[in-house]
Amino acid sequence: MKSPEDSRGSQQRLKLRKLFRRIPKGAASIILILLLCAVFSPWLAPHNPIEQNLGAALKPPFWQGGGTMDHLLGTDNLGRDILSRIIYGARISVIVGFVGVILAGAVGTLLGVIAGYFGGKIDAVIMRLTDIMLSLPFILVGIAIIGAIGPSLTNVVIVLGITQWVGYTRIIRFEAMSLSRSEFIEMAVISGCRWWRILLVHILPNVLNSAVVLATLDVGKMIIIEAAFSFLGLGVKPPTATWGAMLADGRLYMTVAWWIVTFPGLAIFATVLAGNLIGDWLRDELDPRHQLKA
Amino acid sequence: MGAYIVRRLLQSLIVILGVIVITFIISRVIGDPVALLLPPEASPEQRAYLTKDLGLDRPLYIQLVVYVAKVMKGDFGHSFRHQESAMKLVFERLPASLYLSFVAVLLAIGVAIPLGIISAIKRGTIIDRIGMTIALFGQSIPAFWAGIMLIFIFAVQLHWLPPSGYGGFKYVILPATTLAFFVSAATARLTRSNVLDALDMDYVRYARLKGVPEFVVITRHVIRNTFVTIFNIVALQLGLVIGGAVITEFIFSWPGIGRLSLESIYSRDYPVIQATVVVAALIFVVINLLVDIVYIATDPRVKRN
Amino acid sequence: MKKYLLAIVIVCFLIPGLVLGAPKGKLVIAQGTELTSLDPALHGTTSEFNYDHAVFDKLYLFDVDGNPVPRVAVSHKIINPTTWEFKLRKGIKFHNGDPVTAADVKFSVEHYLDPKTKAPLASFYKIVKEIKAVDEHTIQVTTDKPDPLLQKRFAFSIFILPSKYIKEKGYDTFLKRPIGCGPFKFVEWVRADRLVLEAYEDYWAGSPLIKTVVFRAIPEDTTRLAELQTGMADIILNIPPFLVNQVKGQPGIDVQSVPSGRVILLYINTLAPGSLQDKRVRQALNYAVDKKTIIDKVLMGSGFQMAINIPPYDFGYDPTLKPYPYDPEKAKKLLAEAGYKDLKLVLNSPSGRYVMDKQVAEAIAGMYEKAGIKVDFRMREWGDYVKDLFGKKLVDTGLIGSGLVMYDADGRLSLYFLRDSVFCYYVNAEIEKWILEARVSMDEKKRKELYSKISKKIFEEAPFVFLYQQQDHWGVSKKVKGFQARGDEQFFLYRVSVEK
Repeated sequence: MKSPEDSRGSQQRLKLRKLFRRIPKGAASIILILLLCAVFSPWLAPHNPIEQNLGAALKPPFWQGGGTMDHLLGTDNLGRDILSRIIYGARISVIVGFVGVILAGAVGTLLGVIAGYFGGKIDAVIMRLTDIMLSLPFILVGIAIIGAIGPSLTNVVIVLGITQWVGYTRIIRFEAMSLSRSEFIEMAVISGCRWWRILLVHILPNVLNSAVVLATLDVGKMIIIEAAFSFLGLGVKPPTATWGAMLADGRLYMTVAWWIVTFPGLAIFATVLAGNLIGDWLRDELDPRHQLKA
Repeated sequence: MGAYIVRRLLQSLIVILGVIVITFIISRVIGDPVALLLPPEASPEQRAYLTKDLGLDRPLYIQLVVYVAKVMKGDFGHSFRHQESAMKLVFERLPASLYLSFVAVLLAIGVAIPLGIISAIKRGTIIDRIGMTIALFGQSIPAFWAGIMLIFIFAVQLHWLPPSGYGGFKYVILPATTLAFFVSAATARLTRSNVLDALDMDYVRYARLKGVPEFVVITRHVIRNTFVTIFNIVALQLGLVIGGAVITEFIFSWPGIGRLSLESIYSRDYPVIQATVVVAALIFVVINLLVDIVYIATDPRVKRN
Repeated sequence: MKKYLLAIVIVCFLIPGLVLGAPKGKLVIAQGTELTSLDPALHGTTSEFNYDHAVFDKLYLFDVDGNPVPRVAVSHKIINPTTWEFKLRKGIKFHNGDPVTAADVKFSVEHYLDPKTKAPLASFYKIVKEIKAVDEHTIQVTTDKPDPLLQKRFAFSIFILPSKYIKEKGYDTFLKRPIGCGPFKFVEWVRADRLVLEAYEDYWAGSPLIKTVVFRAIPEDTTRLAELQTGMADIILNIPPFLVNQVKGQPGIDVQSVPSGRVILLYINTLAPGSLQDKRVRQALNYAVDKKTIIDKVLMGSGFQMAINIPPYDFGYDPTLKPYPYDPEKAKKLLAEAGYKDLKLVLNSPSGRYVMDKQVAEAIAGMYEKAGIKVDFRMREWGDYVKDLFGKKLVDTGLIGSGLVMYDADGRLSLYFLRDSVFCYYVNAEIEKWILEARVSMDEKKRKELYSKISKKIFEEAPFVFLYQQQDHWGVSKKVKGFQARGDEQFFLYRVSVEK
């Protein structure tokens, strides 16, 4: 005889299985490949990504005349293997994308929750803070921070965290505000629940859905901003391979060596697209209205 | 409502002041404009003279106080590089940026809103998938890449349009498209989700029950009610685009404030950096304020304490 | 009868004009940076000089080999080692009809020297103690110390400004509507977009052949090239070396390649205590760089190896010195000898400031790694980099370029080896003494000898890692006739024409 707890458990397992079936397959596999490349780059990459070979510079991909199987996707102007640089570049993209998003997301969500729950003066201060952050040109902030502490991957992520948290705050704040007015929270307040408990236990978990959706959508944005930084000369320092730097540096060679920019461009495009698709899917999944329908 | 507006205006002043102070401090930390203005052969006397002339020899806090005092009187100082007042330079370039931004947003709206509406109506179908993927395209490529590709394809290969410059339709269309890529992506998706919400509303179901033709349902009820949210979205994007079209303006040599801001940052032209930031902040703050007012006036769910 | 004679005379004047043609066509020049003002005294970069050459004239200018050629001045006489006399050309007029006189030359020099003007190039002229207008067409210049370079200084800069116009209408009016005595008149300036000039047909050397000249500022390299390729711009500078063949292959475009006066080298900070104070380490750094491969592979052949930092253009160039050969074994040996087998080095480089700068620096870093040197490569944003460079805070080494100034070794040497210079990271009392001696010697032969001594010493001491002399590639539309590319990144337009 099945107990109520048992059937709840199996119901949840069923839900999870249904969930996995509905994940957009294409997008998920792209993200999986990305993670694999990032983690296993030393084993997957055929060459050292920063090793120069000036004698083999600007070789085309293997299917074009002049290409070799040694360099499947060709080489750049310093003879470095494009495929290897893309595989290692996944590392940077993963770090920039995920860590950057976690940093920005954490800060932004926290501030949003605080602003939404407390309202009044605290809300006003935080909102005006977001206005200030949005008005500062991120290039200025980027030059300042990277100029002060050096162009490293860590510092680029720091800059991203410092400039991108605003995207979360507004939306989370709105949700936190409506949550705070709900009967449930009022009950908690009346029954003597402390504010920090309310925030942590009741409000935060409920805005997490939106935060996660925003975060997955932001992963792509982070990668693109890193590319913009590389374009402006502020990016992760060479010779580290990042997709953004490959795009930025390779653009001059576009007309004689299309492969230098096309492949990293495709990598960026695929990753960002996948991130966005998953984010959209997550949003649809986590939207309570649609769950009702199902 | 009136009290709210006044309060927000005061707060906006504080925001602008905050932006000014932070920009001031950051710019002075990052470099030495005198080193960039003079050739390496310049004598120490020349450097000392210029440093004093630009007011950079005094301690930071004195420079800040003097600057803020002048700003209160509307004087944003003289550019270090150009022989012109900093604000005048910004105002010279502002029309170009506004022009570009408006065209970009118009383009974006023209494409994105119909796309979002159609995707919402045909939710779950292949049309929805395609529509959203097209919209995502815009967010998946870096702006500088899009711009350079557009120049390469439409100017160099097809010879249809000039690569860069300032002027009428044929000059503005490529940079506006580059900018529009990003804006339309966000707009399309937000439109879609808002229309989806609206379609769920009781009044829509009621209209359908009444037998109102679908077309009328869409145009009269759904669109009219999502208009406010869409207006918010567009306004916010506009604010961001005006200040932030830096890379696009750079690539297309568009004489707007984005490019001015980039060049002034590179050359450490402090007065101009400050002036561009202040103007961009003002625009953004004003648009924000308008959006918030419209939101409050129309959305009964949000009440202020 | 007289009437017919008059008619014939008039027709005779018209015919040459009809035959030669009035100035016609439009020339569009795309440069990377925009003008920030219209006063030549406020200019310090070659792209600004190109505008100055069109609207203004100097006493002399440099021909492609670096010899001063008379323009507003026709001749000079050295009265004594510190006094020069220049005779001016008669009949030159400013665009508003005012004649160009000695008073204008005096006014111009004093304008450049006035601290209130804040002319970036003022320090090149501080040697001038006094300037006198002896008569309408003669000026006398007295220098502080004997200056063998005075004529070259007047070929380098000091554009002649209209003193009467400025005094009457005011400096601010001049800034808005400048006039000069050059081949083109100012028409309009839309900041950051375009600067438009038109032919000044009464130019003293004859009317220019182009009707309209437009300067455009296009900061992005790929866009600038696209402008040339689509025919929207007629002249651009700095086509990237690997694109030269492709551009040459395009119909309607020509590429003119010239050795540049710009020299690229690696700075070494010898002032900070450490390994770099040892001559052997610095020499090792020179031996460890395969200059030929860098030129062939990174620069696609666009470069010339340098023995030291003085290119053939400069007076004082010593052709007997040969560049450091590529010898990584010798480099390793020298490092071991000096006790630095595991040398760690910081290599700074700007990005996009010079042609392929970052790529060259990256290649050098790779070569150093192969020689057992651990390199910490730092790509620097220019403003940030300059702050360190000029503040004597550069760490270890940095890529830097130096351009052509007065076709004379004195400029390059003073900048780097006189301890007062903000750019001096290496001090050698002997070299300093020689430089100062050569600077005030009016004897050309003696100067040459001194520079030869200095060159050999510099080679041996290796205060830099010597690299290469750039090769500049100008992209010129085939519509343009008579354009001559120069090594100093400048051009003159009065003999250039544009056909449809």
